[in-house]
Amino acid sequence: MSILVFLEHHGNELQKGSLSVLSKAASLGAGDVYGVVAGSGVRELASGAGKYGASKVFVADDPALEAPLPQPRVDVIATLVREQSIDTVLLAQSVLAADVAAGLSARLDAGLNWELVDIEEQDGKLVGTRPALADSVYVQVGWKGEPCIGIFRSGTFDPKETGGEAEVVDTPVQLEDFSTAATMIEQAHEEQQGPSIEDADVIVAGGRGLGGPENFTLVEELAKALGGAVAATRAVVDAGWYPYATQVGQTGKTVSPKLYVACGISGAIQHKVGMQSSSVIVAINKDPNAPIFEYSDLGVVGDVHEVVPKLTELVKQRKRSAS
Amino acid sequence: MTKGRASVRPADYPPPFDAAEAIAAPSDPPDERIDVGLLIVGAGPAGLACAIRFGQLLEDAPELAERLGDVPVAVVEKGKQPGSHLLSGAVVNPRALRRLFKDREKKVEDMPFYGPVHAESVYFLTPKSKTRIPAPPTMRNHGNYVASLSQLSRFLAEEAESAGATILPETAADKLLVDGARVLGIRTGDKGRGRHGEPLPNFEAGSDLVARVTVLSEGTQGHLTGAAIERFGLQGENNQVWALGVKEVWRVAAPLRRVIHTMGWPLRAGARYREFGGSFCYPMGEDMVTLGMVVGLDYRDVELSPHDLLQELKTHPLFRRILRGGERLAWGAKTIPEGGFLSLPKRLHAPGLLLCGDGAGMVNVPALKGIHYAIESGALAAEAAFAALRPGQTPWTPGALESYDEAIRDSFIWTDLQEVRNMRQAFGKGFWLGGALAGAMTATKGRFPPKPLGTEPDSAQTLIRTNRARRYPAPDGKLTFDKLSSVYASGNKTRDDQPSHIRIANPVARDIGEAWVRMCPAQVYELADGGSGDEVTVQVTPSNCVQCGAITAKGGRLTPPEGGSGPEYTLT
Repeated sequence: MSILVFLEHHGNELQKGSLSVLSKAASLGAGDVYGVVAGSGVRELASGAGKYGASKVFVADDPALEAPLPQPRVDVIATLVREQSIDTVLLAQSVLAADVAAGLSARLDAGLNWELVDIEEQDGKLVGTRPALADSVYVQVGWKGEPCIGIFRSGTFDPKETGGEAEVVDTPVQLEDFSTAATMIEQAHEEQQGPSIEDADVIVAGGRGLGGPENFTLVEELAKALGGAVAATRAVVDAGWYPYATQVGQTGKTVSPKLYVACGISGAIQHKVGMQSSSVIVAINKDPNAPIFEYSDLGVVGDVHEVVPKLTELVKQRKRSAS
Repeated sequence: MTKGRASVRPADYPPPFDAAEAIAAPSDPPDERIDVGLLIVGAGPAGLACAIRFGQLLEDAPELAERLGDVPVAVVEKGKQPGSHLLSGAVVNPRALRRLFKDREKKVEDMPFYGPVHAESVYFLTPKSKTRIPAPPTMRNHGNYVASLSQLSRFLAEEAESAGATILPETAADKLLVDGARVLGIRTGDKGRGRHGEPLPNFEAGSDLVARVTVLSEGTQGHLTGAAIERFGLQGENNQVWALGVKEVWRVAAPLRRVIHTMGWPLRAGARYREFGGSFCYPMGEDMVTLGMVVGLDYRDVELSPHDLLQELKTHPLFRRILRGGERLAWGAKTIPEGGFLSLPKRLHAPGLLLCGDGAGMVNVPALKGIHYAIESGALAAEAAFAALRPGQTPWTPGALESYDEAIRDSFIWTDLQEVRNMRQAFGKGFWLGGALAGAMTATKGRFPPKPLGTEPDSAQTLIRTNRARRYPAPDGKLTFDKLSSVYASGNKTRDDQPSHIRIANPVARDIGEAWVRMCPAQVYELADGGSGDEVTVQVTPSNCVQCGAITAKGGRLTPPEGGSGPEYTLT
């Protein structure tokens, strides 16, 4: 088996998601694992993939690959698949990777499994796992033929360093006429203020049980004491209590911090799917029947207005005595 | 009944919406308009059958295909894909499909059906028991097939694409383009607007889609169909009335071998409640069943909740047994036009425009059928459009599309609907008297009663209160479910920060606000905290909306949200 992982880069860094997929592929021990980097002036980046388990990294370095457009990358990968007898291409979900995967699937007439959250080898074949029916069940998916293409849901794995070294191999870039028809006119980035809830180790989240926007200070103070970020539910974002960028849930962000403290959140499934992979979930709610208690590690039935300030005070005390 | 409060009607609080808003002249410069030959709005059974039939006709008319340009047939669909917004029982009469695919390789047996109906039971329910009654003649289903309409339409969409149609999913038909007296096409909805209408970084303006003939096959509560009926004065003899259906799909431990319909409990028979409806339960192969509850939206009780009635229904021993050891897979809701024959628009065409399927109200309520009428009307619309596009014809002159109305009148749609034309109205008189009258109508093939029975709009019923909600079961997450987890099971993950697509008067009388809270199966409406007194402010969560359309029947107005919003039905 030979697996090729698409290594997406941003500026001078390989993306964490791509490296995660790479180290997952290497951990399968199912044959050769290669990486491919495509861009302009990216040769330096390639060797960095060695310590995540790539034995070889193909580099397509060409000014025509400067813009993050999918079709030229499809050309590069399709050529590698044919010439290096690659049987599996894996990608980490992103706007670009989704386009590349779809293009590759059409170009090579290859099966594509998307939104994978796991992959393993069974009897010499790869079998992926992906959620179905709105995340309510997991199903196992395989590929009927080769090459197999799989794209992983973002944030599924963490990159694991294993400390190997990769051979860097330049690959010639030959683009199809139709692949150069698109040019990039402008690239825009969303401005972000404050710490991102997606990267935080600790999140304190507030829901409608807080009673009003002014009570979000309780949440903010606890977050500050714990050194974490503040998140909110859809209901309170809808009501205009807190900005949309902090919304956790099905139609907001998906987070997986080490600690998630839910204050006054009933925990409808729309919220649950955005935070259920948090390591430790603590819920404070006055309604003992709130669904959130069904999936909390620690639940406090009580009034957030009393419990949260006390908790904040205890955390501060503990920190003071520790320092 | 409420003491000390005058009885109110939702119609007394009209929504801030004018049908003229949904009509516009083209606004893009001529060279930026997108030209298509035949434009079909809505990828349901009517629209897709129209696309398929038109494609078949074009096969033998290459000159016409040439003349219609790069896109001879386009189908716009507001859902993520064809089928995303489709929900029905459904037991399908295969007649129209057989006709659509006659002379083709496709056989009904090869279509995505869950097999023919072999056995059926009709029951009258009381809370703990059931009485089997003979199936009324209109409800006999021998020779019909069980289907998921969502799945069937994905099949039809593939057929339409192979017949040359271009399907444009995630595209809302926002406005009907009218120039003088002639329909020119539609304008698609903007995408990427923020909550207050402001353009976000990914803003994409809608476009003018200009066509020779525009077919509206939008289904129940068609946004443009309603506007067109008003603009061209097409209102039929009676106004339209609707029912709301809520259904679930379950994986079950033991196969169900028959189709089941029930009447009676949990609905009440008394005339003052106006609770007309019933339930259905159909097998979907060896390991799934679908079951649902349908209630006429002319009901009066503030506390009536079709979603909770379905939950209550499942606690009946009959359904508990069927669902034992099973698991809910999907949930959804949709309205059904129930006015029937007398509510059909008086003409089904206007210059450059044709109306099909549920949007026009082609539903046979006593038979619980409409899909085959949708398919048949779509195919007939294609034939009329094709005839009007032949050399020397101009489809936008008045009367040019008259042949469509003639074909409908000659079809089984007309005779079927005419026979049962007064049945739905009779049930406004309560279950028992309604049932007796319906029997007389069946016996006389619709000649009794000699004078047509009228209807009032659903929103014109005065509201009453009976503490009905006390009896709804508490959701246990296994057999019975709350609304929010049900919305989740519909696959709905609509972007929250888009403008609200729901128009309601606000504030409203408490009874009306509470009636909307109960009625809506998707928890779109809540009463703002602290709303005391006789007037309440209704808080709207539009992203929960599964676009069932009940609010339009009951005093508000649903408009299309950004394309791609709403549920993602796959099994319904």
